[in-house]
Amino acid sequence: MTDGMERPLLEIDQLRKSYGTFEALRDVSLQVRRGEIFALLGPNGAGKTTLIGVVAGLVRRNAGSVRVDGWDVERDYLTTRRLVGLVPQELNFDPFFNVEELLRFQAGYFGVALTPAALDELLAAVGLTDQRRRTTRALSGGMKRRLLIAKALVHRPALLFLDEPSAGVDVELRRDLWAYVRRLRDAGTTVVLTTHYIEEAEELADRVGVIDHGRLLLVEDKATLMQRMGRRQVAALLTTPIASLPPAAVEAGWTLERDGLRVVREAPSAEPVGPALRQLLSAGVDVHDLEVRPPRLEEVFRQLVAAGEGASR
Amino acid sequence: MSRFSLGFRTLLLKEIRRFWRVAGQTVMAPLVTTTLYFVIFGFTPGARGSELHGLPYARYIMPGLLMLGVATNAFANASSSFFMMKLQGTIVDLLVAPLSHAEVLTAFVLAAVVRGLVVGGCVWMVGSLFTGFEVAHPLWLLVFVVLVAAFFGAAGLVVAIWADKFEQLNLFPSFIVTPLTFLGGVFYSVARLPPLLQSVARVNPVLYMVEGARYALLGRSDIGPWSGLALVGGLTLAALALAWRWLSTGYKLRS
Repeated sequence: MTDGMERPLLEIDQLRKSYGTFEALRDVSLQVRRGEIFALLGPNGAGKTTLIGVVAGLVRRNAGSVRVDGWDVERDYLTTRRLVGLVPQELNFDPFFNVEELLRFQAGYFGVALTPAALDELLAAVGLTDQRRRTTRALSGGMKRRLLIAKALVHRPALLFLDEPSAGVDVELRRDLWAYVRRLRDAGTTVVLTTHYIEEAEELADRVGVIDHGRLLLVEDKATLMQRMGRRQVAALLTTPIASLPPAAVEAGWTLERDGLRVVREAPSAEPVGPALRQLLSAGVDVHDLEVRPPRLEEVFRQLVAAGEGASR
Repeated sequence: MSRFSLGFRTLLLKEIRRFWRVAGQTVMAPLVTTTLYFVIFGFTPGARGSELHGLPYARYIMPGLLMLGVATNAFANASSSFFMMKLQGTIVDLLVAPLSHAEVLTAFVLAAVVRGLVVGGCVWMVGSLFTGFEVAHPLWLLVFVVLVAAFFGAAGLVVAIWADKFEQLNLFPSFIVTPLTFLGGVFYSVARLPPLLQSVARVNPVLYMVEGARYALLGRSDIGPWSGLALVGGLTLAALALAWRWLSTGYKLRS
């Protein structure tokens, strides 16, 4: 069934899911490549969790096909579930057992007898070594999130879904988590993360998909997308305040901020800064320093969602 | 190499360890209740010395109390464990795992049978201390205890899948199992009822379970063991089939 490394690990074609009259997913087609971090972005209720639920086996599709490594997620569920790990959005815990027991159980469900060394490695990777004998009731929210991640990784899945992994997570854990996700990717795990926290996707993703109202609006390499749709802001800091900008600088797109000490210009990332900067200098503006704010994925995301809403009206 | 998958064995072991971890609640509590029944109905003034069908009353009620313990505990094991998993969200751990529906069903029902056997064994021990250790047909006893536990385990799973809140979970034991059990000849002989009430009582499936245990333990009953076996076997198959159907279609589990 596996045709070599070129075949995408996840293939979704014309996927549809409705709840009554509400269409949660509308003809979604998506391919996720092996070894990439793919971020699925969308506002709350866009269909992100439903989409990964279909792949993981929590949601039944109405139409379309979903394959993991060539295997159908419903017909061949015993095979695909061994390939998939899911970190759900909602924290859950079993008060009867401690961290170590739960990891052993979860490994067992996947047919994996967890060796002591593998258990130690997993606990260390998610920072739960000191908590291994604690019942899950006694864990903090962040620790519970780490346990969910460890449970999803216990069978070493080829495809890991992280559903809103930063929800309710403090800054330190978020940074740890991001570093760990990168290490997983580097070790060959394909990671799909859903998030409405755009900074997360900006930080981690190789490719991004934007989903809204159940429709996949775009799938693109993150760097290409930022280059194509992102806008860069350049600010020139002046030596002495000025009352107004020379007309040539205004024509080049520069605007003077109220303090008279800062001149800014925002333009598409793809457009070179040089010409506009030269025009500013030629107009006699005395520039002391420059600040460049790189394009933000959040702005691109907003544009896409706004355009998608406009199109669906 | 075991014929059973590691996933199945893990789930079964986990379910058994779950109730064993709180044995005070899951094993000792029903034992205390049963002991009180024996003391009150067998040895308090008024009850002491009374007989039914030529047997001391405490001995006569022992099979019914044993079945009551087996049924309620098998039901509680499957229903509470599965429902708590739904409530606390840990059901996701099972739903994403490569476990077949038959494995999930069998693990929950077997764990319920194990608890039924443990509680039933304890009730028998306590009852025997009061009334003697003779068992007329040990194999029949084992068959009835296992079948009744399997039926109530499967029924517990069905109710847990269906229920959305605790109140619904308690409907079955409170409004069906307990009344049927108390009207099912645990404390009296249906042969002594007026003809009309006898006909009504014979519609109650719990009666066949109690009488089956009575035949197995005491060697005599108002209803023969084979009809009880057929009825309980049929009910068990029906409950297992419904539980398997709901697990495989994802009813109330997968959206």
